[in-house]
Order: sequence, then C-alpha cells, then structure tokens
Amino acid sequence: MTQDDDAATLAELGRELPGIDLDASSAARIARRARQGVGRGPSLVRFVEPAIAGVFAASYLAWAIARVLEALR
Amino acid sequence: MAVRCPGDAGERAWVDGLRRGEAAAFDAVFAGYRRRLYGYLVRMTRRRDVAEDLLQETFLRLAQHAGKLDRETRLGAWLFTVAHRLVVSWARAQAVRSQLAGDLPAREVAHDARSPLEALADSQAQLALERAFAALAPAYREVALLVGVEGMQPAEVAQILGHKPDAIRQRLARARTQLAEALGEYAPASWRMP
Repeated sequence: MTQDDDAATLAELGRELPGIDLDASSAARIARRARQGVGRGPSLVRFVEPAIAGVFAASYLAWAIARVLEALR
Repeated sequence: MAVRCPGDAGERAWVDGLRRGEAAAFDAVFAGYRRRLYGYLVRMTRRRDVAEDLLQETFLRLAQHAGKLDRETRLGAWLFTVAHRLVVSWARAQAVRSQLAGDLPAREVAHDARSPLEALADSQAQLALERAFAALAPAYREVALLVGVEGMQPAEVAQILGHKPDAIRQRLARARTQLAEALGEYAPASWRMP
C-alpha cells in the first residue's frame, strides 16, 4: 500500500466523520469581533507589556552595573 | 457545509480584499473556513469551549495581518498554520497546569460515557471512527485530520506543521496503523490484516 493509497483511504474515512460546527450566535460573535480588526494591525496594548518589561530590565541592569562599578572603586 | 472554499482565483480575490481591508472579504473567508478550522480545533483539543477561543484568536490574527498578507498567500495553509500554533501553545499550557495540579485526584469519567463530540455520531461506525481518531497521539491525529479530513497533501501538511515531508509521511503511516487497529471490523478492507 502506497502513501497515496493511505491518504485516499484516510480521506474516505474523514468524510465519514460527523460534521462539527459552531452555533450560529457564537459564530456571529466571533466574526463580529474579528471583523472589527480588519486592516487595523495588532492592538497597541499588545506592545505595552513587553515595553514595561524592557524598561524594568534595562533599569535593573543599569542599577546592577552601577553597583559593581561602585564596589570596584 | 454551507459554503465551499473557492478555487485559486476566488481565493486570490479574498486575499486582495483582505489586503484592502474589506470586511466583506473577511466575512467570505470566515464563512469558507470557519467550519473546517473549528472541526480541526475541536478534534485536536477535544473541548468545544477551547476550540471556540482558538478559532476566535485565529481569525483575530487574520484580521490583524490582513493588510500585510502576500498576494500569493494560500489562506487555508495560513489559517491552519496559525491554528496549529495556537493548539501547540494551548497544549503546552495544559501540560504545565497538569504538572502543577499533579497532586489533585483525577476527575472520574464513566468509562462508557460519550463525549459531546462522540454524541454527534449517528451510527456505530461513526462512533468507532470518532473514538479511533481521538485515541491517536496528538501528533498522528493532527496529520490524519489534515490529510484525511482536510484533503491536504503531505507536503502541504509538512509546511503547516513545520516538519519535513518524510516525517509527515512517517506519521501518516503510523496513524494509519493505529487507526486500523482501533477500528477493527470498521477498518477499510484494504487496511485489514489478511
């Protein structure tokens, strides 16, 4: 049995699986929510957390370097 | 299925519409792919609530990236790649949660109880099939679903999952063996041992 035969038989089996779908209200809610973002790009909120973490890490690094330099003097 | 996915020309029109930020193009893509993606997500996570969340996230990402899509983008592959990555992230989070809750007693489930997914089966053969797919290891189930249900070629599945085609073919062969064993008398004649 070849890979193509396997794929074809699997496709036959796959067609036998019962269909699954969302209920109409959930589908409409998801579509409405996602549609609002079309063409807008990622939300700015997505960048806030990494920015805060970056500032915090940089401040801590600067403080640590200052402490080391102080100890070396 | 109410809406079929279009051919290459129709899909190109959808991509062009998305790139221009047209809500109508988004609606068409949503109608064309929602059921396929939801079926894949439900069968991978085995939870409808999680599948709904991941479906929403998949389409949110499509909306966010609509303007940056390449004209040659194959939407099916793009959407299933995002959905696959979301499933992987969810599974990792689940694994961590399971480890953290390792001391808690497992929830008892009646052995013969049907899952909501299995309840959709309207024959013993369908039930056996649903259970056979569910029993596959996630890596094999995913390949079996993408090839068997979605009708994708192993090379396309390899691209979506980020593996080599040979690895996908190997998984496909293993999935076939495990499905044949699990299906028993319901297995296709060509898969049954002589």
